[in-house]
Amino acid sequence: MDRRSFLKATGSSVVLAPAVFSSQANAQDATIQFAGSVPMTGAASETGLNVKFGYDCAVKFINEKMGGVDIGGKKHRVTLNLFDDASDPARATSLIQKQVDEGVNFFLGSFGSNIVLPTCAITEAAGRIMVQAGGGSDLIFTQGRRRVFGLFPRASRQFASTAAMFKTLNPQPQTVMFIYTNDAFSKVSAEGASKELEAAGYKVLNSIALPAQVSDVTDALGTVRAANPDILVCSTHDATSILIARQMVATNTNVKMLYQTLGPQTAAYVEALGKYANGVVGASYWDENAKYKGSIFGSAKDFAEYYRANFNRPLTYHMASGAGCIVAYVEAMKKVGNVTDRNAIRDALAGLDLETFYGRIKFTSQGDGDPVLLGPMVVQRQKGDLAVVYPTEAATAPTLYPALPWQERT
Amino acid sequence: MTMRIFLLLGTLIVIVLLPQFLAPFHIRVVQLFFFTAALALAWNVMGGLAGYWSFGHTVFIGIGAFAAAHFVAKLGLPAGPLQMIAGIVFGALFCGIVAAIIAYPILRLRGIYFAIAMLGIGQVAAELANNVGWFQGDVGLFLETALPDGVEPERFFYYVFAGLFLFTWMVSLVVMRSRFGYGLLAIREDEDTAKMLGVPTEQIKAFGFTISAVLVGMLGATYAYSLGYFTASSVFRIDFSLNMIIYCLIGGIGTLAGPVVGAALMLLLTQIILGQLLELHLLATGLVVILIVLTLPNGVMGLVGGEAFRRRFSMRAGGKAR
Amino acid sequence: MRDPNFSDRQAMLIIQTALNGLVLGGVYSLAAVGFSLIFGALGIVNLTHGIFVICGAYAAMVLFHVFGIDPFLATVPVAIAFFFIGYAYQRGLIQVAISRASLVASLLVTFGVALIMRNLLQLVFSPDVRTITPSYSFSSLTFGSLRIDIVRLIAVLVSIVFLLLMALVLSKTAFGRRIRATAQQPLAANLSGVNVPHVLGQTFGLGAAFAAASGAVLGIVQPFSPSSEDFWTLNAFIVVVLGGVGSPSGALLGGILLGLISSFTAQFIGPSYTNAVMFLVLVIMLLIRPQGLLGSAFGESR
Repeated sequence: MDRRSFLKATGSSVVLAPAVFSSQANAQDATIQFAGSVPMTGAASETGLNVKFGYDCAVKFINEKMGGVDIGGKKHRVTLNLFDDASDPARATSLIQKQVDEGVNFFLGSFGSNIVLPTCAITEAAGRIMVQAGGGSDLIFTQGRRRVFGLFPRASRQFASTAAMFKTLNPQPQTVMFIYTNDAFSKVSAEGASKELEAAGYKVLNSIALPAQVSDVTDALGTVRAANPDILVCSTHDATSILIARQMVATNTNVKMLYQTLGPQTAAYVEALGKYANGVVGASYWDENAKYKGSIFGSAKDFAEYYRANFNRPLTYHMASGAGCIVAYVEAMKKVGNVTDRNAIRDALAGLDLETFYGRIKFTSQGDGDPVLLGPMVVQRQKGDLAVVYPTEAATAPTLYPALPWQERT
Repeated sequence: MTMRIFLLLGTLIVIVLLPQFLAPFHIRVVQLFFFTAALALAWNVMGGLAGYWSFGHTVFIGIGAFAAAHFVAKLGLPAGPLQMIAGIVFGALFCGIVAAIIAYPILRLRGIYFAIAMLGIGQVAAELANNVGWFQGDVGLFLETALPDGVEPERFFYYVFAGLFLFTWMVSLVVMRSRFGYGLLAIREDEDTAKMLGVPTEQIKAFGFTISAVLVGMLGATYAYSLGYFTASSVFRIDFSLNMIIYCLIGGIGTLAGPVVGAALMLLLTQIILGQLLELHLLATGLVVILIVLTLPNGVMGLVGGEAFRRRFSMRAGGKAR
Repeated sequence: MRDPNFSDRQAMLIIQTALNGLVLGGVYSLAAVGFSLIFGALGIVNLTHGIFVICGAYAAMVLFHVFGIDPFLATVPVAIAFFFIGYAYQRGLIQVAISRASLVASLLVTFGVALIMRNLLQLVFSPDVRTITPSYSFSSLTFGSLRIDIVRLIAVLVSIVFLLLMALVLSKTAFGRRIRATAQQPLAANLSGVNVPHVLGQTFGLGAAFAAASGAVLGIVQPFSPSSEDFWTLNAFIVVVLGGVGSPSGALLGGILLGLISSFTAQFIGPSYTNAVMFLVLVIMLLIRPQGLLGSAFGESR
């Protein structure tokens, strides 16, 4: 009993000590600090790391290439204060609180709605701002938060453009089938897309649900072969997409279009599938060949070149969306003319309508990305590269439809 | 006796006043400490006292959370302190019922088989919660806490978890000092002999298992409220199960102070020290676990507790899963 | 009107599902046999098992990319390397922990090492998902309306070869006899002149070798990453509980059962329920017959 109290007392004083001695690290002379967490380990780490590299890229460009960004007549450098939340909401929330205590005003988001949601609740309650490119759950945006902005549209609207894209195909597809993973993002977007397509007059066949960790889809593919849809849409993450595609090739399951939301954009996909990746369609929120331009980074191509010159990790759109968050912040601050007035900066973000290397950044009144401007483009692997096939204004190549059967691909 | 009362009061005063002196981040850390220490204490009832090591106790965190969320949603209770209490109570009771139902079949298993069976049950629950649409474990559930005016969430939950921790601690104390607790110890030391001597081992085990489940369910439901939004993967986590075991082992299994000390140490390590070591926290945690096993086989309390303690609580003698 | 082909198609579907299950199961068996041996002979629940499997996959991947060695051939050097690693690990760390505390300590230590290795793998290889893709990864064989991946077929054959190898080693060689003797009656083995700690180390090494070899095979069959490791440890648990502890035949039986259950669940209930059903089967087996269908190969002494 007394031992326990003793230990408790010692424990609490050890905990107290850093709190008492830590100082407000709020050096605001010409520095903007962005804080937050990303999953660098754990289930969401693959994309988490991509986003982190995007943040790093923006910071490096601003500090080194631009010598700092001009706000209110003074050059400001940018610093990052990120920690690894290990894909664990408990860890993320307590460490975000720490950063709130330290006085950070501007937060970047983690990856995964189940982490973004609790953390944005903390930043919102403390009056701080969060701009994120990692959480699409509708709940993030529909609960009345005013200081949380997302570069992606909410999950239920993310595939608003799918139906429009299908309309451009010739010959017109009749049947569509969905495979989705049972998680907050994939399921909701699949359901949203399903409704969109039905409303547009396509026949949506029974969907197949997969668990998060799946090692074999042979049976699911048997069902696909029996149903014989024109288009198969996989609302799945990278590993599952690769598995599905590989097993489709091995079992000679052919569809006129294979659309996998996450997967075809990555280098690992090409490595796993080689020539069979050609013809596969994916969603991408950004592409280096898109004709976007902005004051920071220049064009999309410029961003890609700068990134590749400075970082090793293969480029995917997550890097661009991560960097886009910082660009959005900085542009809003430029408009306001300072880096301290949180309310003004928040209002500037809410009213942002600006062309950047990432595209035209504009948020809805609830904070998520505008579904038309920031919605996904459709990309297709053609001859080993990623071509943008929709929307037509940004397209770099026509859609190859129907895709060649697996055995005929080169 | 007066010394003990004095210390008890002193500790209570410290707990009540602490948030005034701490930054919100540290308040959250202490809140997390209360949560995990209470979980470890609850696990300890079956694991430490009875010697039945469950590897799947996270199942009760999850069931408590989901039961609470569905209960308040289906009844349409408006957000408020009553709703939260109702949710937590229901979550806890529901876990108790589940535990009581599975207790008799599951507790026929011993040692590592019991451990794996609980792991299996935990995984089944996790998978069903995630993949059966009705549970909404995949898209996530939302629990709104109505905070009293002007109270920040971290302080509110600090006090809630502090209260739950003290409650769990008291329950553990009562159990350990009771005949029932001695029954559990008898089961750990030599179950078959105890049974032969007339100890009602079946009922005692089942009762202990149910108490443990109710406590964990209560904590799980509260945790869900503190998150506000949770999915199956937020509450059914293998690392919750493993942490409960590790905190007990590191602190000293089977004791009252052990789980608390273990939780304090590990939390200090992971949250504060390792919070800065971005990419190495798994490695450092693993190293600590190994070091403790090699240097402090009876846990910290074993080191501090002296010879009599060692005889009573040594891992060699009784504290192992057979 | 009744579709005359319906029952034919149903029959074909059942056969295809069974085929898929057998093929999947063969691989599960190989992935579990190392764990089974260690658990049966040493009583150690090796939570580092999944790490051995994944390390085997990464090792095969490196050998494939750097030297162009086919992963199925790479199983041999990988297995040999991990035999020595396993031996050192058991004698140097696990045995020390057990002698300091109790058998339970092995659980913690193997868990701690698993954490460390997982972190290291993430640092070295990044958390991204990897695959090994030899040229034949995409072919399949067809028999009428039945289909089977070439890669999976070879994986099953390789698994069976390895399982046979282990069975032969355990039953026919002096080395195997020493392992079995020490597992069943360590005291008597010691008195007969067997260097018990050495043999225990070798047994662990053998388990580790087979785990790593299975990883090399798995690397071609499906994508892997450092976080896949807990799946393979859990998988091993289930196979052991289903089929029996300590013997290759138990592992084969358990693995095949698991594969069939998995496949039929995916086909007839739904792919999202496979894991739930697998663990349910685990729990039910534990309640009915915890020592597995074939029981413990090393008798009741453990």
